[in-house]
This record gives sequence, C-alpha cells and structure tokens, in this order.
Amino acid sequence: MPGECAIEVKNLSFGYSDVLLMEGVSFCVSKGDFAAVIGSNGTGKSTMIKLLLGLLAPSGGEIFLMGEALTSFHQFSKIGYVPQNSGSSAGTFPATAEEIVLSSLYSQIGFLRIPKKHHKKIVLDALESVGMKAHARSLISELSGGQQQRVMLARVLVNNPEILLLDEPTVGIDTGAVASLMEILHKLNIEKNVTILMVTHDLSHVAPYLNRVLCLSDRNFAEDSIPPELIVHAHAASHEFSHGHVHCAACEHEHDSEHCIACAHADENGVEL
Amino acid sequence: MNLDILQYGFMQRAFLVGILLAVIIPCIGVIVVFKRLSLIGDALSHTSLAGVAIGLIFGINPIVGAMAACLIAAFGIEAIRKKIPRYSELSIAIVLSVGVGLAGVLSGFVKNAATFNSFLFGSIVAISDFETALVVGISVLVFVAFIILYKELFYIAFDEQAAELSGVPVRLVNTIFTILTAVTVSVASRTVGALIVSSLMVVPVASAMVMARSYKQTVIWSVVYAVAATITGLFISYYAELKPGGTIVLTAVVLFLLALLIKWLRQIFRTAKMKGAANEST
Repeated sequence: MPGECAIEVKNLSFGYSDVLLMEGVSFCVSKGDFAAVIGSNGTGKSTMIKLLLGLLAPSGGEIFLMGEALTSFHQFSKIGYVPQNSGSSAGTFPATAEEIVLSSLYSQIGFLRIPKKHHKKIVLDALESVGMKAHARSLISELSGGQQQRVMLARVLVNNPEILLLDEPTVGIDTGAVASLMEILHKLNIEKNVTILMVTHDLSHVAPYLNRVLCLSDRNFAEDSIPPELIVHAHAASHEFSHGHVHCAACEHEHDSEHCIACAHADENGVEL
Repeated sequence: MNLDILQYGFMQRAFLVGILLAVIIPCIGVIVVFKRLSLIGDALSHTSLAGVAIGLIFGINPIVGAMAACLIAAFGIEAIRKKIPRYSELSIAIVLSVGVGLAGVLSGFVKNAATFNSFLFGSIVAISDFETALVVGISVLVFVAFIILYKELFYIAFDEQAAELSGVPVRLVNTIFTILTAVTVSVASRTVGALIVSSLMVVPVASAMVMARSYKQTVIWSVVYAVAATITGLFISYYAELKPGGTIVLTAVVLFLLALLIKWLRQIFRTAKMKGAANEST
C-alpha cells in the first residue's frame, strides 16, 4: 500500500506546438521513495521534471507537491532541483564552490539582505555532507565532473529539501564518482527520508538504490511500481546491455534494459506483452 | 615627477569622472559577461549615438537623448531575448543593427558634426560641470545598487532558473539592471566615447578572470584593472598628446596581456618547482 504522495500527477497532458508528448499520465511518488524515471530519448522525461517544477505549463491534468496543488504551491525551497549537465555548465563560471552553494541560501537570507556567519556554516555543512568541504574555496572550473556534480547537489541540500528532482545526474562522470554520488543520495533517502525522483539512462549503477521505477513510453508511464526483485534483475540486464540487446528473463524477449523493465512490469500485472 | 597635469581643473574633472566610470562600468561588465551578453555594451553604445543625433537635431541635451535611446534598446534586447531564448545573442545583433542604422541615417541631419563626433570617441577632458555632476550622481546610484543587489545579481547570472525557483524577484532585478546598464553606457558614451565604452565593460573583466580565485575577487580585480587603465591612460594621453578614450582602452588591453603573461610565467615557475621537488624525492 503506497504511503502519502510527495509527488502526485493526475491525468497530465503536455505537448510542444502540435506534437503531443504525453497524455493522461498519472502516478504517485510516495514520501521517502527513491524513484527513477526511465524511457527512450524524446519521451519527455526531462519535460516531466520541468512540469513538476512549474517551469512548463501542462495542457491538461493536475500536479500536487507535498499534498498541495502546484498552482498554489510556493515552498520551492523545499524542492531541490539539479538540472541536466548542471555541473559542466557551471564549470565555466568563475566562482568558488562556497559562493555557488551560498547563492542557493537566498530563501533563508532574504531579498537585499547580507549573508551572516551562520549562513556560511550551513554552506560548509552542506559541502561536508557531499564530501566537498576541503574544496570550498576552489574554483568550480578546477573541479572534476564528479566533484562539480556534488557541489551542485550541496547547492540544493542547503535548504533541507523534502523532495529532490535530479535530471540525469550521472551523465559525464566516471564510474567511481557515480558510485560516490549514489551513496550520498542513498544516505539522504534513508537517513533524512528525502523523496528522490531521478531521470536516468544509467540504470546499471542506479538500480540497487531504487525502490521504484517509472517508465515513460508511448506518451504515458507504462507503470509506476516495480517489485524490488525485478529491479535487481534490471540491474543485471543493464550490465549486459553494454554488449548489445539482452535476454529479458521477465518476459522472455530480447531487448534493452529499459524495455525489459517496462515489460517486466507489464508481465507482473498480466498485461499482454 | 612633474605632476602639473593635476593643476588643471579640466584634468581634475577628467580624473574624477574617469575613476568613477572605471568603478561602475566593470561592475556592470561582470554581470554582462557572465550572462553571456558581452556585446550588449556595443549594441547600447551604438544605439546611444542615434539618441545623441535625435537630441542634437531637436535641441534636446544629447545625453538625455542617449539615455532614452539606451533604455529603449536595453529593454528591446530583453524582450527579443525572451522570445528567442536559445539564440539570445541574436537579440544584441538585431538591436545593434537598428542602432547603427539609425545613427548613420540621423547623423546626416545633425548640423554640428563636431559635437556628434565627440560622442564617438568621447571627450573626457572637455566635459561640463553639469555632465560631471551627472556622472557623479549616476556612479553613486549604480555602485550602491550593485552592492545592494550583489547576491541577487550573482544568483541570476549563475542560474536564472534556480534563482526564480528560490523566490528571487528575477524580473524586477533584471529590469533594474537593464536601467543601470543603459544609464551607465549613455553617460560613459559622452566621456570615454560610444565606440570605446563596451571595451571598458569587457576587457577589465577578462583581465580579472585570468587572476581571480573567486567571483568576489573577479569583481574587485575588474575594478582595479579599470581604474589602473583609466589613470595610466589619462597620464599617457596628456603627456603624449593622444586621444584619452582610445588611450584608456589600449592601456586596458595592455594590462590584459600583462595579466596573461604573469599567469603564464607563474605556471612555468610552478611546473619547474614541481619537477624540482620530484627530482629531489627520487
């Protein structure tokens, strides 16, 4: 039985110009979930994150964050958003990790107010939580891709978010850095009960930490709940995917890992494959 | 050293106005460069010439004309930038074209060509008391606004979307910044020259980025470079009998090259030191 929804989407539709990208999408991400959004390129995964943040307006349907309709929601400081390639795009900006994280404390400091000592402590604590305190005074451009991504995460953690929305956070960083990032996220999810929704193509490294997978395909989520044992299977399948198509044990078909998860779920619910 | 240069009232005014502008132009320039709108100074200063021409044709103070034209151009850039966000730099090119075109056509109707030309390369040693007072007033306004909006401008320049989500009044801050940019460019056009103001907006920032170790240091170094270029440029122009506006900009470029050279030498020194330490350990 799912718990209270941290993110709830009801019958959502959206399109660019005349092209309908998603239609009738409904799902609930419960408080404390660590969920991934998967799907092929162009299915609207990043668009979904932007819709959840109100950066794009849906053509139909409703979105609720922490039980409140998005149209009247104002607590965006409680939603941490790390956009796609945020680390690399920040990499050209001549600012230190400390300055970048401090900028995100805006909602606590306030309009036209000067940051105080305790704000700087919050910033250092956030950097410490992602293992970057030693690099607080380093220029962001001098950090590696994985380190930049951890600074971007610290940037949203300063506000103690209840929900984290991450758009492909593992893109462009090496395997070791991905593992380190995932451990940090896992800790946040377990210890602070932060709800995490992550768009990813990198299921092989992410799957062990997830308790839910949302697969966006054919303009809708194929399903929004997959039993943990199938996620473990998906993890194994993804490893093989690097060598081409795999045999999916769940549906006895040959295809890639993402489709494997989608059909695994469909199989689970008795839908014809 | 003979400092008779400072005995003349017109040179004292030139130093006062030059230093004040050297403080505020890089403050605007830092945000403009980090918003990837480095050529906005060019677009605004060229459009200011159209305002100068209108002012001279209709008997209005040309600085007021320049200010009005700069404001219209600055808001025009913002409006076009929002319409085509993926190609935001095109908005500058479009406004720049309109500005150059209008200035070219309207300059044909200006009777006193010498006055119009003084706006092209500036005339910092020939400014009036009214213009000095205007520069002082605007400099104080721009500097105070920049300090007050420091963290908001940083956040917007770094990540406008995140700033908006955090509750920063992005539209209000952008509007204020647009007005500050427009008034700065228009008063600077009269002193250092319309064709030179955009260089002062970008070159000191580029020099600072070579040396600075943080955003705050970038702002401080930008101002230091611009002030140094202005003072040195004014001295050189006085004793070598050169045009002050152009000399100031060329001095700024030389300082930029010096900053690059110092960085290069430091890297060589550091590499040699590391090699030496490695050899010692083996």
